[in-house]
Amino acid sequence: MDSHILEHAADSGSRLQDLAWMVLFAPLIAAAGSYIFLRRDRSLTAGFNIAAVALSFLLSGVLFAAFAGQNVAGSPFSWLPVAGLEVSFGLRLDNLSLLMLLVVTGVALLVMLFSTGYMHEDPGYSRFFCTLSLFVFSMLGIVLADNFVMMFVFWELVGVSSYLLIGFWYDRGAAADAAKKAFLTNRLGDFGFLLGILLIWSATGTVHFGSAEAFLLAHPLALGSTASLAGVLIFMGAMGKSAQFPLHVWLPDAMEGPTPVSALIHAATMVAAGVYMLCRVFFLYTLPAGWPDWLGFLQGIPASSIIAWIGGMTALLAALIAVQQNDIKRILAYSTLSQLGLMVLAVGLGAQLRAPNAGAAMFHLVTHASFKALLFLGAGSVIHACHHEQDIWKMGGLWQRMPVTFVTFLVGTLALMGVPLFSGFYSKDDILATSLEAAPVLFGLVVLVSVLTTFYMGRLLLVAFLGRPRGSGAGQALESPPTMTGPLIMLALPSVFSGWQIFGVSQFLTRHFWPTFQVHELDPLFGPFNHNPTAAMFGFAAVLFGTSLAAWLYVGAERDPLPGLIGRLARAMRHRFYFDEIYEATVVPLHDGIAAIAGWFDRWVISGLFVRGLPGTVEIAGRALRLVQTGNLQTYGLWFAAGAALLAVLALKK
Amino acid sequence: MLTFLILLPVITALVILAIPGHYRFIIRCVALLGTLETAIWAAVLFFRSVPGTPDYQFEQLVPWISAGGLHVNYHVGIDGISVGLVLAAAWVGFAATAVSWDVERESKMFYILLMLMISGSIGAFASLDLFFFYFFNEMALVPTFIMIGVWGWGTDRQAAAFRITLYLTLGALVALVGLVALYAATGTLDVTELQRQLAGHPLPRKTQMLVFPCLLFGFGTLVGLWPFHSWAPQGYASAPAATAMMHAGILKKAGLLALLRVAWPFLPDAVEYWMPVLAWLCLGNLLFCGFVALRQRDLNLLVGNSSLAHMGFAFLGLASMNVIGLTGTVLVMVGHAFLAGLSFALTGWVRHQTGTVEMLRLGGLLRTMPFVGSMMILCFLAGCGVPGFVNFAGELGVLFGAWKGTVYSLHGWVLAAAWGGLVIGGVYMMRAIRLVLHGEPKREWADVSDATSGWRRLPFVALLAALVLFGVAPGILTRRIEPAVVAIIKMAGQRAQPAAPLGATAAMQR
Repeated sequence: MDSHILEHAADSGSRLQDLAWMVLFAPLIAAAGSYIFLRRDRSLTAGFNIAAVALSFLLSGVLFAAFAGQNVAGSPFSWLPVAGLEVSFGLRLDNLSLLMLLVVTGVALLVMLFSTGYMHEDPGYSRFFCTLSLFVFSMLGIVLADNFVMMFVFWELVGVSSYLLIGFWYDRGAAADAAKKAFLTNRLGDFGFLLGILLIWSATGTVHFGSAEAFLLAHPLALGSTASLAGVLIFMGAMGKSAQFPLHVWLPDAMEGPTPVSALIHAATMVAAGVYMLCRVFFLYTLPAGWPDWLGFLQGIPASSIIAWIGGMTALLAALIAVQQNDIKRILAYSTLSQLGLMVLAVGLGAQLRAPNAGAAMFHLVTHASFKALLFLGAGSVIHACHHEQDIWKMGGLWQRMPVTFVTFLVGTLALMGVPLFSGFYSKDDILATSLEAAPVLFGLVVLVSVLTTFYMGRLLLVAFLGRPRGSGAGQALESPPTMTGPLIMLALPSVFSGWQIFGVSQFLTRHFWPTFQVHELDPLFGPFNHNPTAAMFGFAAVLFGTSLAAWLYVGAERDPLPGLIGRLARAMRHRFYFDEIYEATVVPLHDGIAAIAGWFDRWVISGLFVRGLPGTVEIAGRALRLVQTGNLQTYGLWFAAGAALLAVLALKK
Repeated sequence: MLTFLILLPVITALVILAIPGHYRFIIRCVALLGTLETAIWAAVLFFRSVPGTPDYQFEQLVPWISAGGLHVNYHVGIDGISVGLVLAAAWVGFAATAVSWDVERESKMFYILLMLMISGSIGAFASLDLFFFYFFNEMALVPTFIMIGVWGWGTDRQAAAFRITLYLTLGALVALVGLVALYAATGTLDVTELQRQLAGHPLPRKTQMLVFPCLLFGFGTLVGLWPFHSWAPQGYASAPAATAMMHAGILKKAGLLALLRVAWPFLPDAVEYWMPVLAWLCLGNLLFCGFVALRQRDLNLLVGNSSLAHMGFAFLGLASMNVIGLTGTVLVMVGHAFLAGLSFALTGWVRHQTGTVEMLRLGGLLRTMPFVGSMMILCFLAGCGVPGFVNFAGELGVLFGAWKGTVYSLHGWVLAAAWGGLVIGGVYMMRAIRLVLHGEPKREWADVSDATSGWRRLPFVALLAALVLFGVAPGILTRRIEPAVVAIIKMAGQRAQPAAPLGATAAMQR
């Protein structure tokens, strides 16, 4: 590129770049402004917030067109200026953030439109839209952040807005509990995240992504023996937000929130933040492994492989649990967990292989955002039509009564299963290919997860939509209004097309990690079969196998036949492998116990002895003295001897 | 201008004194006007103070006693550290006056005492002469005891008042011993004079070792340093809302300010020697008080204990002994001033409406009092270190500072502090929200009233606005704080003995 063009780009960039601030702040202004001034007017509040997110979406499009392939970062606002710790707020525009901007604002816009129908009767209508906008603001902050502290700030804010949205119906005990649980589980992850940031800061002297990356490129051993520890600590943040094992327990409970919230936050965006963050700090995971002495037993294991295994475990566990859930939202929630596990696995393996496979996780994130949001909104449409019935065994036969919802849900399902021609096929194939190349054991695991995915989604579709109605709600269900079906159709489009090579999502992302990456041949639809035929064939076989299994068990089924077949395992799956129970029996009592001891000590020792002190101590002393002054010569002799011995010990010790 | 600010509440008190006691409405109006004006002038003062300089501003010196080798001057002035505290004192003072509308008995006396508290705290923050610092501090402390005893809540308020009096008087006395010893060694109590005198000629190590423990434990008791903290939660739980707001929010900070003004710059060797002890004790605040807070069933006791936990952050920042950590400490001090003010104002509202702060008896209040409830959620979120409030910026500064630690590395402490702040703090705050605000509304509390008029809402909004303003742009504060902190560190760099004492190093390595 010659200098003239560069100059021009910089010139126009300096003005265009500022649009990103507007993308970020439009939702916040709308949320705050409409909450304070317009709250009483429901539709105005909703309209104002939707308009703001629409503006963000449009401007994201402009930015995408202007900055694709570039890497623009600036930190104009100094937030916490203290010598030695310069934290400024700036936005970073590159392929990663540009695409994510479109995903977040696009899905958010559709979800908000859907909500105008879904939440119509709710008394908290205005509050709902304001909180959604607040969430969008926080999420965009994560996407655009150009340094660790800023990302942490918005990371926490996403946690808060998620807390507010899960607990939207705060009168319900279950919703309030779920909100609390989500917040606290995320806090556990953030604890590690913060320590990771401190480690990186003390080694590189900066909290900015750009300078930290540059520093670590120049001095790969700067983090030394803490390199892997820092990586794992940072990953703890992702474990919280992306609900990875063992911090996954909050996500299924989060389904207590309104369904559009589940679609936006707990399927498409917030939970993807962990994966996004891992890609953002990808440079950390390509460093040479190193552990401090007290973790010496981990020597030689890079952080990236720990990440890959945790992702893989989450994917498998969640898929198994999903097989035996009956609540439509819970099935989708566990499916989300499982897919997030695959993404995390892909990041970990990508870091081991380096480019070009690193893009697989983000690719799957993008396609997953559209089809999982579609599935959740479809579930919302079903729940709305069935008078808030969520049990799939009380549904059935909905395909006739709700054709639009059914067709779009089918599209989402096929995409999630990974049927060729649908977006999920291409992104999942990327993950399969990556794992085949890096770790054959994990490849097997991914294939198994694919089979399970196809199986539980087949089960969901067959039981809820086909067959005959098994509940009063399902029998009277009517198709949802256009405000709800419209967004479904809009989401169905990217659920099909976003994986196709002509749209170039995958290449676009790969170029983020490997700028010189070129596509060799443009194969519009069946690229995966040429590129890595083994992986693609296995993926396809998994789909066929899972579907036939589901069809064999669930076509025309009135009850779930699976518990009869696998018995105890099915029960464990239904009870989510007892994770909540285990935590309730270990972590919670541990803290309660320490708190009880501390409380006792505070009450009886510190307050009791020192403070109630004056009268109290005198009395205790009096009683003690009464014990001593027995008038018995032998006792006095004993005390004398004990005192002499004590003195002798003290004297000798010196 | 500073003198005017200190005197304004006193003048208000004098005016109130002249009004007959049964004109309660007029008394209240006068008090509100007086504190509102103080608050406005404090804001003017804050924004007219020049950032980026360590010098004292708005300085005023009136010679007072200068006879027989005794030199005491009325000397006031503010630097970047105290300017935020003066602002907080005036604002919380105004808010405390505004939420006291429920005081019916002897309200004349109540407002006079409150005015004295406000004036005393501003005076203590502004004093550059330690004699006057001590005088103003006592002037604010004494009304605290009376107010708890007379207008307090609960059956054991006499005991609480007794305990708080005993503790704080003892603490103040111990600190006084330290100050007298300092005077004996230097012949002056003027901070600027001390700076001049000790620049280049640090105090002998022996003197430092004598003075410092008195200051640390004396002032530490005033702040609630573990294990001298147990006066605090019970005292606040029994105190009227306004008193708790002023004491927990404002007056406590005078002790920290004194440590920062006197101990850290002038007694660096002793600070270094005692640092491990301070580090261990602040764990008591951070973890122990956090765990105790987990156990509380009384909302006020919970807030009181969490406020002690926040003081742990302040002490950890002090222990870090570097620019980032000390700046963080000052941020925590200012942030906590507003936060504690807001917390006790809100719990006071709940207590007045329902007559109880037993968390298990409350529930579903967000539905019946949406404004106060939402405020309380925001306040508790700020209390567990959510970004967007200044407390987060302060805690972040402390953690970063302590991680770097100048003399010793405090990694383990940072770990504990982060656990205490992020996780334990999150647990008890979330629990409080769940029990008090969320859940099914109880019929018992169906007719409680919310703060609906703008006038009733103003004190809450004003405090929250300060938390958010400084939270979004902590630079406003740090640009003022940092130069003053750098000056302290520079002063502390002049040691009587450069080598680190052996005992301390051994204690840290353990």
